[in-house]
Amino acid sequence: MLWRIAWRNLWRHRTRTLILSSVIAMTYGMTLFGMGVGDDSHQRMLREAVLMAGGDVLVHGDGYWATRGSDVVMESGSEVVRAVAGVEGVGRELPRVLINGLLSTSAATRPVFLQGVDPGAEDAWRNLSEDVTAGTFLRDPPRDPLVLGSRLAGRLEVELGGRVVLTASDPAGEVTRALFHVTGILETGNREMDELLAFTTVSGAQRAVAMEGALTQVGVLLTDGNGPEPVADRIRVALGARNGDLEVLTWREAVPEMVGFVELDDAFGYIYIVVIFVVVLFAITNTFLMAVMERVREFGLLAALGLRGDRIGGLILRETLLLTALAMGAGFVIGYSCHLAADHWGINLAMWGLDEVEISGVDVADMVIRSTINPAKWFAASVLVALASLGSALYPAWRAMRLAPAEAMRFFE
Amino acid sequence: MSSTEGMGLIRVSEVTKVYRQGALEVHALRGVNLTVADGEFTALAGPSGSGKTTLLNLIGVLDAPTTGTVQLNGQDVSGLNKGEAAEYRLDNVGFIFQAYNLVPVLTAYENAEFTLLLRGAGPKERREVVRPLLQRVGLGDMMDRKPHELSGGQQQRVAIVRALATHPRIVLADEPTANLDSANSDGLMDLMAELNEELGTTFLFSSHDPVVLERARRLVILRDGKVANPDADGD
Repeated sequence: MLWRIAWRNLWRHRTRTLILSSVIAMTYGMTLFGMGVGDDSHQRMLREAVLMAGGDVLVHGDGYWATRGSDVVMESGSEVVRAVAGVEGVGRELPRVLINGLLSTSAATRPVFLQGVDPGAEDAWRNLSEDVTAGTFLRDPPRDPLVLGSRLAGRLEVELGGRVVLTASDPAGEVTRALFHVTGILETGNREMDELLAFTTVSGAQRAVAMEGALTQVGVLLTDGNGPEPVADRIRVALGARNGDLEVLTWREAVPEMVGFVELDDAFGYIYIVVIFVVVLFAITNTFLMAVMERVREFGLLAALGLRGDRIGGLILRETLLLTALAMGAGFVIGYSCHLAADHWGINLAMWGLDEVEISGVDVADMVIRSTINPAKWFAASVLVALASLGSALYPAWRAMRLAPAEAMRFFE
Repeated sequence: MSSTEGMGLIRVSEVTKVYRQGALEVHALRGVNLTVADGEFTALAGPSGSGKTTLLNLIGVLDAPTTGTVQLNGQDVSGLNKGEAAEYRLDNVGFIFQAYNLVPVLTAYENAEFTLLLRGAGPKERREVVRPLLQRVGLGDMMDRKPHELSGGQQQRVAIVRALATHPRIVLADEPTANLDSANSDGLMDLMAELNEELGTTFLFSSHDPVVLERARRLVILRDGKVANPDADGD
């Protein structure tokens, strides 16, 4: 009977109930959607960060990541690769020679970040072939091949088949020059990468800077279910005595600014949600308090008939529970619909003139926002909303419980 | 002879009630003594502010006296806590109020069965008790109507059914005809008197309407918080 009374009481003031449930529903729905968009953005940023870093775990000569100096190399590159390959949790090893230098043609000279890579392994991870607009990504390469970013190629005014000269320092600090032939041009959509990046084979890069047999970096990709930290620890052990000459970093350690940004953004997100809900809670408390005050006489009648105070309080809580369930049902439909729409069509920030953003040194070029459901966070948010909504009715329920029947019955006399 | 015969179903002894409104003290009752026997049909009369509603509230365990005792069926109910008082009312007292008597979101039938439901009666028992009573008071074809779809007199009839549904020893009615026209007032008083005779339920009601008071078999007059006709108090 109390449930029946509670349900019907909700609809005594239909407009008020609809407005209040709409507020809860919109707040809840937008919270879910906001979390979906936020999680997707963060995941995308972190994926970009892993790509930018070069893998889930990175192995370098000791001190390379801080200085990016051409003199910090791993002399026995193949031994390092073999040692890393035998570690549990390692899915793929990506040997690299990284060179900061200048590329010159007869038309121009531009700075370049040249990566000597294993074409098959690198392409399988980064899908670089998909970005190639002319030529191939180091497929059946001739001696000294070069794949250039499209903007870099434009600046150098070089086309497929053209020749460019690399000027860089070798590990001994001597300036060296090497000739490359342009075999591919790629366009990633990332302005910075397209302006700065170039790729060649590991051997081509080693020849260019007198690093035969040596590597600058081994990027490590993990098998599913492995976290970077334990694998990094196992790699350190596997490298044994060589460990002192090498540094092993997880991608989190390599780009701490991005990790910090995501954590900070998450924290601000939670604060924002809490602030919104505090406002909504006061609105609910106020509404239910009004509902109690205008029904004092009625609660007095129920008490006079023998309904105990705790059951009168329970009536208020039932009304809140029904309102919350109704509003959260609608809110979930709103939030989930927005999630599905964003996941399917995306929200293109380019419409507002945002082509690309750099966050903590990581370029995020894909400006289409999508949504990702993190079930645990959605569940936690739902529990929070339900508890907060019910909590907001505790004071009105307590007021109703404490009403003395004789006084309550006099209320409107 | 019942256990209460001789001592009265309701026994009010030296009861005072003081309301405090800030620094102001309002003495609503100033030493009331009253005994009502089982099966009586008694009216409390008196002008506004004489203490009728206060006395009914104390007898109905809706409030507690400042001093003195109220005994119902031999039990002192003056010191019951809120929970015990609610249980006591549910089991022993039926109420009919002047206005706002019914739960607005429930139908006539649901209002009438409300107290039975609180006592845990099943649907069959509730149906067997409430339907005949509603038919008895002439509301057999209005059971599904909400209070706002009933006239004042019809609402009071539903309240009577609700008050009697649990077969209480006492029905307390606070100005039950105050909001009714004379025809409805007469009808309601006839009904209460008939049910008093048929069921033997004790009725104690307040009014200042002379027409209503004429129907009482015993009249207790309150004035300034005291019984003004102590000879009529049954002691």
